[in-house]
Amino acid sequence: MVNSEKKGPDIQKLLAPAALVILYIFFCVFGQNFFSGSTLVSILDSTYYVGLMAFGITFVIVTGGIDLSIGTNMMMSALLGGYMLANGANIWLCLVCMVAIATVIGFINGTLISRLKLPPFIATLGVMMMTQGFGSIITRVQTQRFPSSFDENGAYKTIFYKTANGFPSGIVYMLVFFVVALVLLKKTRIGRYTYAIGSNEEAVRISGVNTIKWKTLVYVICGFFCGLASIVYAATYTTIIPGTGNGLEMNAIAAVIIGGTSMSGGVGTMSGTLIGALLMSVLKTGLMSMGLQGHYQTFFTGLVVILAVLLDIYRNKRAARV
Amino acid sequence: MNIRKILATLLAGAMIFSIAGCNSNTNTGDTAPATDESATDAGNEADTTSGEKPYIAIVSKGFQHQFWQVVKKGADQAALDLNVDITFDGPPSESDIAIQVDMLKSAMDKQPAAIALAALDTESVKEQLEACLNNNIPVVGFDSGVPGAPEGSIYATASTDNAAAAAIAAQMLYENTDFKAKLDAATADAPIAVGVLSQDATSESVVSRTTGFIDKLVELVGDENVKVSGHDKYAKDAASAKLLIVVNVPATTSATDLKTSAESLLATSGLAAIYGSNEAAATGMLTASNDGSEFNSENGKFGEIIAIGFDAGKTQRVAVENGWFYGSVTQDPYQIGYQAVKLAVDAINGVPAASEIVDTGAQWYNAENLTDPSILELVYD
Repeated sequence: MVNSEKKGPDIQKLLAPAALVILYIFFCVFGQNFFSGSTLVSILDSTYYVGLMAFGITFVIVTGGIDLSIGTNMMMSALLGGYMLANGANIWLCLVCMVAIATVIGFINGTLISRLKLPPFIATLGVMMMTQGFGSIITRVQTQRFPSSFDENGAYKTIFYKTANGFPSGIVYMLVFFVVALVLLKKTRIGRYTYAIGSNEEAVRISGVNTIKWKTLVYVICGFFCGLASIVYAATYTTIIPGTGNGLEMNAIAAVIIGGTSMSGGVGTMSGTLIGALLMSVLKTGLMSMGLQGHYQTFFTGLVVILAVLLDIYRNKRAARV
Repeated sequence: MNIRKILATLLAGAMIFSIAGCNSNTNTGDTAPATDESATDAGNEADTTSGEKPYIAIVSKGFQHQFWQVVKKGADQAALDLNVDITFDGPPSESDIAIQVDMLKSAMDKQPAAIALAALDTESVKEQLEACLNNNIPVVGFDSGVPGAPEGSIYATASTDNAAAAAIAAQMLYENTDFKAKLDAATADAPIAVGVLSQDATSESVVSRTTGFIDKLVELVGDENVKVSGHDKYAKDAASAKLLIVVNVPATTSATDLKTSAESLLATSGLAAIYGSNEAAATGMLTASNDGSEFNSENGKFGEIIAIGFDAGKTQRVAVENGWFYGSVTQDPYQIGYQAVKLAVDAINGVPAASEIVDTGAQWYNAENLTDPSILELVYD
């Protein structure tokens, strides 16, 4: 009895990576030109910004909260960075400012939620709309453009996106911060408190921990990762269009859910999030290589999210069996 | 408790009064909700010599691309020249049909002397058009205009003849020697492909540019030699086709979806050329090819593929300048905006429309003719 229970969780942990591999193989067989280096690079391209946003929001979701503003936060930071660049600022300064701005928005979210006790959904919804509008207001609804790789300031692209001979350096960037996020979540005090607050916030508060400070920090981390995502988004897509970004948070949240994090908090892993982000990119690119256009992607991604949650519920039921 | 009830009653009372007070005309019989009030007053006011500038509400397809910013510039200048007041509004993205409908409704609520509209989807605004017709607010179309609008509801449209513009692209592609060679060498067993990246399948401009391109190419290559696949709207079968046209319409108009669609087209086997329907599609093609540099014929990853874009924008212009894009078709967004306002003013003053469509023109531009000043002024940044 003890042995079979011990085996259970291990198999479940492998489920998401296994699904990723199976899906990849499926598309290699049924897709057109799927099994190629350039397709792999395309898959990675669309993972960077979603992955980084997802790493940040994993912290938030593990505490049982939610952050709807990550998409527009990322866009606004990118917009403002492009605006500064257009007005003559040094590109590296712009990139640093983008991260700083996004972190400040994270701090605002955190303060609203933990200090002023607004429900996370409502607070981040409001901030989402405000950041969406703010970016447009400052840039006067003008599209902002970042330099291309062959432009004068194009070096940032080599670091954050792709090198001249096609190596996807963005993956290095993403993995570096994946490790940072992983260490934060698993090895540091903020990580432990994140899980604790997610499991039982009241108990943590009563035992003397300053939950307000730590919960705010969680949202600050989320904002910081949005800033990182904005750098790689700018490097990947170059053209930043005002008023967009709404909806990208759903991709990040879906990635986190698919990776096994529970919306009710207390449970979740960073590697699960990474797998979830990769899975969604594989799905998106793979469906298209099978000739199924855009609408199928959204349909199947939604289906995968539901299946992932059902699996999670089933897993919890089994674990709770006496 | 009592104060709350009193406040609530006062508020309700104020609302009822405002509705009653404004609802002077009850015989409009229109179907649109909040538009009946003062629309008729506006129609009369426009011709008065009170010295008040007529107000024209412009509802565009969005601000998403630099294209619309240039349209706005043209409209602003026309407003200055013709001494009218304008507002220029647009939904956040070209997928936001519902938001545009709301914007149109609130534009109508502002009692304009005329409205200029570039509809994202004609069906969705039919009700509002009927209301405008019944309330004598002239509506002018621009850019995609409002195709299929109820009889008599649109005064005139200032736009590019999109099908003709797209046909230019097809013609130039067909005349390209490399493409010609590939086409001649192709057979039904070893066909070549041409990718068409179409931003959406609803707005008239994008649909016309897709259809115009496909139809012209089919005409030039021969009906029985071309098969069109990828989207039901444009599908066409042929038994032994040596040219496959693959149309890809992304799920949304977001940059990420357009890039993924472009990448998918670029991975098509036997791809000889790729064409984008508008600035968004061209941007998708550019981001999928490192801002166009991978179309570099010398050593670029997609050097063999002929890329043709639409509209302009800085990145596309650079790509054309460097010869990475074989060429692009540009419209005249400035004129589109200018003519839209001019037509609206004509409509206000009761001048009968000279023609249903005022063609603002399209031009092919490539690395050679970009230095020509008349072309350069059309290619905005």
